[in-house]
Amino acid sequence: MSKTRAVTVNRRTLLAAAGAATAALAAPRILRAQGKEVVVGGAASHKNFVETVIAPVVEKKLGCKVVFEGTRSLVNLEKMQKNKDKQYLSVVMMDDPVMIPAVAEGLLEKLTAAKVPNLAMLKPGTVHMDGMWCNYLQPWLGIAYNPKALKAAPTSWADIYDPKYKGRIILPSLQNTEGLANLFMAAHLATGKPMAEAQKDVDAGFKKLVTIKPNLLTAYTQMPQAYNLLEQGEGFMISSAISQVALERKASGAPVDIAVPKEGIFAMPSGVALVKGGPQPELAAGFINEMIGPEVQAKLSAITFSLPTNKDTPVPAGMPTGVTIHGVDWQFVAANRADWVKRWDRDMAM
Amino acid sequence: MTPATASPQRPPSPWRDPVALLAVPAVIYFAVVYAYPLVWLLLKSFSSPTGFTVQPYIGFLSDPFNWRVIGNTLRVAAWVTLFCLIVGYPAAFALARAGAFVQIVMLVSIILPLSIGAVVKAFAWQIVLRRDGVVSQLMVGLGLWDEPQRLLFTETGLVLGAANIFLPFMILPIYSVVKLIDPRLSEAGATLGATPLYRFTHVTLPLTLPGVVSGIAFVFSMSVSMFVIPSLLVGDRFQTLSTLTGRSFLLMRNEQLGSTTAVVLLVLAVSIVVASTWLGRRLGGRT
Repeated sequence: MSKTRAVTVNRRTLLAAAGAATAALAAPRILRAQGKEVVVGGAASHKNFVETVIAPVVEKKLGCKVVFEGTRSLVNLEKMQKNKDKQYLSVVMMDDPVMIPAVAEGLLEKLTAAKVPNLAMLKPGTVHMDGMWCNYLQPWLGIAYNPKALKAAPTSWADIYDPKYKGRIILPSLQNTEGLANLFMAAHLATGKPMAEAQKDVDAGFKKLVTIKPNLLTAYTQMPQAYNLLEQGEGFMISSAISQVALERKASGAPVDIAVPKEGIFAMPSGVALVKGGPQPELAAGFINEMIGPEVQAKLSAITFSLPTNKDTPVPAGMPTGVTIHGVDWQFVAANRADWVKRWDRDMAM
Repeated sequence: MTPATASPQRPPSPWRDPVALLAVPAVIYFAVVYAYPLVWLLLKSFSSPTGFTVQPYIGFLSDPFNWRVIGNTLRVAAWVTLFCLIVGYPAAFALARAGAFVQIVMLVSIILPLSIGAVVKAFAWQIVLRRDGVVSQLMVGLGLWDEPQRLLFTETGLVLGAANIFLPFMILPIYSVVKLIDPRLSEAGATLGATPLYRFTHVTLPLTLPGVVSGIAFVFSMSVSMFVIPSLLVGDRFQTLSTLTGRSFLLMRNEQLGSTTAVVLLVLAVSIVVASTWLGRRLGGRT
């Protein structure tokens, strides 16, 4: 009995020793891989496509490991501010409005064609502030609607002002990035000026926007609530809605669709930049290069229901083509946003 | 009793009482996580790049819109508190006077909902308060409304939803006082010829006042500072001091404005709670 036990123990010891030996042999390889690691900061909602689409391509081509940290744009900005002397993020993915303060505080490293050759393949208007950051995707803004509540899809941004939709329209708050589209479109509808000019005439925009108040169900700050209301049929339209969110709901079987109004759609800002003084600068540039390269762009635009920014990448099926895509002057927005939100509070209050 | 017969030993000073040491862990905890940030917040609201300033307060209070925000905050909190009091006061009596089994069922049904987060409840209220929701159907069914109406994203809807979430904090303090009242006191009053109304206002109400005061203090201070519930039930178009504070810190990164609104809210809430407690004590003492 005791003998058997001794043998068992010996065998276990042997196995353990063998395991330890294997681990010891494997260790240098693990250490080497750890040395080549790119830490990418982004939004929590990016985690899925970074890990399933971008990381496999980057890891195969550049032989490094991609570590993704998902949080909110503003938190990423704070991480860079706090670690200014010893950055641990190499690449940061943030909305354009947050890129502007990051540039102002000297936290970003300029992208150049030498470091990121694919930069030359991007659509016009997607490289910003002389290469401080670029857009890797264009989710677009249209009007989401409930096809059960509305027989026909809305055709114009002016439809939301129609009195027959009393209490049925949902707007994003102006503090949400997607909320700015309504203000600029209201200015365009009121003045008839082209969008590039109209978005500077915010006063006209507000005067038009307040006329929607009888139609307003609510102005949301939490997007899930807006979709909840739309899908339950309490709200008929969300103006303006992000393609990525609306089409994901549609794909999962919810009564949601998104319309492309005749005045055009807005491109949402999905930016990526190099962190100044971040570790592994070559790999970081390589990551961005792959991100805007043809292979990743085709897959990424399809699964995120967005437009690619690489001009050679075909627009995936089901995405709008031949429609005007309005850009937003984010520097003008950054300079005035606080005042606009203040006016929004006053003008749009119940 | 003359001073000579009184015990010469004075009770030990509360500072020397070793029992006070039992509070040390709580005091340290609150000093670190509560008092220190609070002082920091106060300092922040009075500081500018050039030193001490009251300009943020002058700026804030000279804007008529901000007075509307203060009005919204206090009005909603007052309605919620009043609603909870009217509904909760009799409920506390039912709870205190119920038999053992019924009492357990009632207590569980009051306390269990507290374990469900405010977000979940707010989403549930969204369904209840919408145009084809239960409340609307009920009102039309009773003939009180001509057609279905939406209470969601109205001030009434906010008050109803918030009162549901805070009601236990009104019932429980009143219940804890009511269960200590000897039911025979009211009967004694009756034998002396007091009317039910007289017995209530002169016997029962004064005895329950401490519970009422702490219930009001709980519900008012929670509803004056609620953040998630208004942002889900009434939305961005109805600003309160809390939603303004949250936005200043989280979105606009304006710590100056955020700390100013937070301090204004704190001062208002504390002074109202202290004043109502003092008033309650005075009224309770007089009768």
